[in-house]
Amino acid sequence: MMLNGDVELLDGMPIAYIKSINAIAVADLHLGYEGIMAKRGVYLPKTNLRKIMEGLSNAIDETHAKSVVANGDIKNEFSDVDEDEFNELFDFIKFLKEKKVEPVLIKGNHDNFVERYKEAFKLRIYRQEAVIGTYHFFHGEEMPGSIKKGETLVMGHEHPAIAVFNSVGKREKLRCFLYGKYKGSEFLVLPAMNYFAAGTEINMEPADKLLSPIFKELDVDSLRAMALGYGSTMDFGTIGRLRNVY
Amino acid sequence: MIEYAKEPFSDSESLAVLHPYIKAWFSKHFTELTPPQKYAFKDISDGKNILITAPTGSGKTMSGFLSIISNLLRMALDGKLEDKVYCLYVSPLRALNNDIYKNLAKPIDEIYESLPGKTIRKAGKEEEIRKITVGLRTGDTPQKERHRQLVRPPNILVTTPESLAIMINSQKFVEKLKDIKYLIIDEIHELANNKRGVNLSLSVERLAEIAGHDFVRIGMGATLYPLDEAARYLAGYSGSEPRDCIIADASWSKKLDVMAMSPVRDMIYEKEENIENALYKELNRIIRHSKTTLIFTNTRSGTERVVFNLKKRFRYKENIAAHHGSLSRESRLEVEDLLKKGALKCAVSSTSLELGMDIGTIDNVVQLGSPKSVTRAVQRIGRAGHSFKATAKGEMLALNRDDLVECTIMLDAALKRHLDSFSVPQNPLDVLAQHIVGMSLTKKWDVDEAYGTIRHAYAYHNLDRNDFMSLLDYLAGNYAGLESKHVYGKIWYDEKEKAFGKRGKYARVIYMLNLGTIPDEVAVNVFTPDKKWIGNIEEEFLMRLKPGDIFTLGGHLYKFEYAKTMKAFVTPAAASAPTIPPWFSEQLPLSYELANEIGAFRRTLGEALQKEISAKPRIRLTKRTKIHEEAKAILDSLPADANAKQAIFGYFMEQLLFAGAMPNDMQLLIEQTSNMKDEKGYLVFHALFGRRVNDALSRLFAISVSEKFACDVGMMVGDNGFVLVTDGEVKIREGNILDIIREMEPSSLRLILEHNIRKTELMKRRFRHVASRGLMILRNYKGWKIGVRKQQVNSQLLLDAVEEMDPNFPLLKETYREILNDSMDIQRAKEVVTKLRDKGIAVKFIKTAVPSPFSHNLLTFGHADIIMMKGRKKYLQRLHRLVMKRINSGSVTGRLHDA
Repeated sequence: MMLNGDVELLDGMPIAYIKSINAIAVADLHLGYEGIMAKRGVYLPKTNLRKIMEGLSNAIDETHAKSVVANGDIKNEFSDVDEDEFNELFDFIKFLKEKKVEPVLIKGNHDNFVERYKEAFKLRIYRQEAVIGTYHFFHGEEMPGSIKKGETLVMGHEHPAIAVFNSVGKREKLRCFLYGKYKGSEFLVLPAMNYFAAGTEINMEPADKLLSPIFKELDVDSLRAMALGYGSTMDFGTIGRLRNVY
Repeated sequence: MIEYAKEPFSDSESLAVLHPYIKAWFSKHFTELTPPQKYAFKDISDGKNILITAPTGSGKTMSGFLSIISNLLRMALDGKLEDKVYCLYVSPLRALNNDIYKNLAKPIDEIYESLPGKTIRKAGKEEEIRKITVGLRTGDTPQKERHRQLVRPPNILVTTPESLAIMINSQKFVEKLKDIKYLIIDEIHELANNKRGVNLSLSVERLAEIAGHDFVRIGMGATLYPLDEAARYLAGYSGSEPRDCIIADASWSKKLDVMAMSPVRDMIYEKEENIENALYKELNRIIRHSKTTLIFTNTRSGTERVVFNLKKRFRYKENIAAHHGSLSRESRLEVEDLLKKGALKCAVSSTSLELGMDIGTIDNVVQLGSPKSVTRAVQRIGRAGHSFKATAKGEMLALNRDDLVECTIMLDAALKRHLDSFSVPQNPLDVLAQHIVGMSLTKKWDVDEAYGTIRHAYAYHNLDRNDFMSLLDYLAGNYAGLESKHVYGKIWYDEKEKAFGKRGKYARVIYMLNLGTIPDEVAVNVFTPDKKWIGNIEEEFLMRLKPGDIFTLGGHLYKFEYAKTMKAFVTPAAASAPTIPPWFSEQLPLSYELANEIGAFRRTLGEALQKEISAKPRIRLTKRTKIHEEAKAILDSLPADANAKQAIFGYFMEQLLFAGAMPNDMQLLIEQTSNMKDEKGYLVFHALFGRRVNDALSRLFAISVSEKFACDVGMMVGDNGFVLVTDGEVKIREGNILDIIREMEPSSLRLILEHNIRKTELMKRRFRHVASRGLMILRNYKGWKIGVRKQQVNSQLLLDAVEEMDPNFPLLKETYREILNDSMDIQRAKEVVTKLRDKGIAVKFIKTAVPSPFSHNLLTFGHADIIMMKGRKKYLQRLHRLVMKRINSGSVTGRLHDA
């Protein structure tokens, strides 16, 4: 669906395409997730990287984007870097290069190690935030720096989702984008790209329990949820309405 | 061959097999043999496998052990007794193990004291007669004692299934088990029907493989049915043939004196407090009249509530105590001890005291609400009357009218010895995965050899070779997606060599720390906003809650606000009724057999009442309506008190007068109605096939309705039927339901269900359990206990990922099997569908403006727990008043005949 004249939310995908900068924006890949979980004794089939590459590959083919902005938490966690994670990051960057798109990596607090590939792949790497065209990307665990007039803020970190109930009471959790205003600027929150991160149900939680500091500075209930699932992406209305609808 | 022992041996035949010293000891302490002993002494002495069932207090333990002790004494006197384990005793309960240990030590001491000499001549030298040693090895056994057992193994080792699983994988200790001659499995009724027992049977077959010879297998337990299934479980297979086993059924040696009771005549309109008062008064009366009473409540909260009330109302002090699984081990042991000493007037238990540890003399067992199975009822009531000559006295106090009918028929079935059946889970792949890892630790296995050993266990005698091979692939890390062997591989497996064995240094630790079959549950803690802890609810219940929903917890009403990381926040609610029914995932299900008996009773009594109604078309139903002759004769033949009979009569009359139809074993009544609270359409299926069958049937009907009308369908499943809920706009007609039945293809039911349960909470929950048993999600890793929460990957996504990797992934396959065969009963559901199609069971469809009496409990859906009654009862009364108005409004007779 078109979010506005410049941003398209690709149907059924946690991926936004921004026309004016010809870029795809995603967040929270958490590469190496299965490896980390295996170290905790949970043996997940390796799925995440494959699903990310499938999704991005389709998105790139469809939009002909020239770059992919990974808006933070590229790898899973702040710990000793594991062989699996390195391999996955390598495979991921290699995949993007082969698709002839430029990786733009915005580091979250977990992501110091991506520097190691900077030289070899000639990567554009930013810490916490980056302004590209009129888009001000920031990961979200910290407040963004100074915002210029006319910039659209794009954030990750929160893993937004909504819970909806069908007519006989079955609960469904859907990942979603959040879209609204922050101090007069356009504001978009990206859902998590990680396959296993189903997300936080924003309409089921009090605003003050959310992770990102920016939610303390705006009215979460005024944000619209663009939920995705079953191959499409749809506007479900504001969080405030989704809170009270049941 | 599995064979039933026909006649018990005589006392003299039985005693003749014992060593004279043992015989003398026995005669000194006992005047006669108990029934199980008359079966057991000789056959065990002759080296036969035997399954002995008998009630508590019938000398069961001695029946299993005495011939063994006799044989060991012979060895001692011949100077042949060595520091080896000759007899292994396994029971599911540590507490029971402690008892057994003490109960063996004492007779052995006495026997040795009675020996005329203390020495024997061996190789020309005087040597002290070796004492038969007994050892205890459970999770509680200190390291020092374990080490001592390794140095000097006890002749009789008392242990649990889990400790045995560890022992057979310990290379050093297993050496000490190689000369095993006898294996006793106690409380077999607690093992044969579940995965824990399957796990044990694999350990036993592996032990036989390690020992290189067969040993005498003795199974003991309370009653269960069918006994030959239990015997096969015990004896296992040798090659492709079941091993021989004798069945000695002494379950009925104790007489039963039982009664179903209704605390009041009218369970609908009597004020709630009056019912409660009557209930406690009755309990008090029973307690006063007995020396020691044991009360079962089915739930932990019920247990607390009953103890609280008895103490408050009748000034009992420390002589009444609660016993349930949430209490600490110390307090439970204390209660057991007090019981043994005869210091308690009454003990109240959820289910925890139904197992066989010695709790002294109980002269009365009271069951509050139906225990849902005849077998369980007999096992529990069998706790009363400690000597085998005593009569086991038991009362069942019913909590609502369905419960009352159920209790009455259950006790009638118990008197007629109609038990409900169990079955051994077949080919559970998660348990097998665990054992394969265990096997890999001890040696390098040839694949065929391992497959053969596994198939000696009854649960795996039909194991599909492909399933076995896919488990090897999974465990070896050969699965695409699970292929990083250094992380995922738990065994080493060489396909060319057709062999598998140990991988890496962590395999043993992982195995030892994660073995076992009882899943960790995720409890969601519930708090008020000021962080006061209220209690906990199950995760799936949380999943059903929407902000604003009102539910009961610990007897109070709360409004759900929000949840965060497995904490739920609520505020006390001022409302009078919950908006969402209480929900328990693991309620005891009504058994198929008992459901059938209830169905048959409904038919018999229904026919008698219908005759009466037809003879007196203007009959009115009031509190004073007398029970007429034919019905009275039927009711009088049942073990029920006067209140109960009156209540059952009234209940059945109402149903017939109102609906003109009685659901029974030959007739499925389908009632289309409204619940008067919302605009939804309700289809009540009065299906009496047991809950496991209802579980499957309700889904099958829901799927069909959903497909036919392209709508969402809600379901409520109960023991007496199930309800489908649709939007009020969906117009379902009789013809549609008949079409649905006609179109149901019994052979495709499994596929339809598999497809349907894929996205359910049940599937997610069970997959997590299976993945945990199958070592895909570890509970404990490298010594770190992993909280269930930490393991919490979104279960649906995990399932999707696994299914995408391989739809036949063994642990996925096992999850479906467990749900369809263990939680549901797909086999019998198929039988029922077949009968519905070929009219073996008739289908009757009626429409009612308000729900008929038999559907009231189904619609108010909830566990029959006295704590939950508050809001429910008002609604029930409202429903009932409407029914009675219609029955007695005069227009009834005409409607009756056209119904």
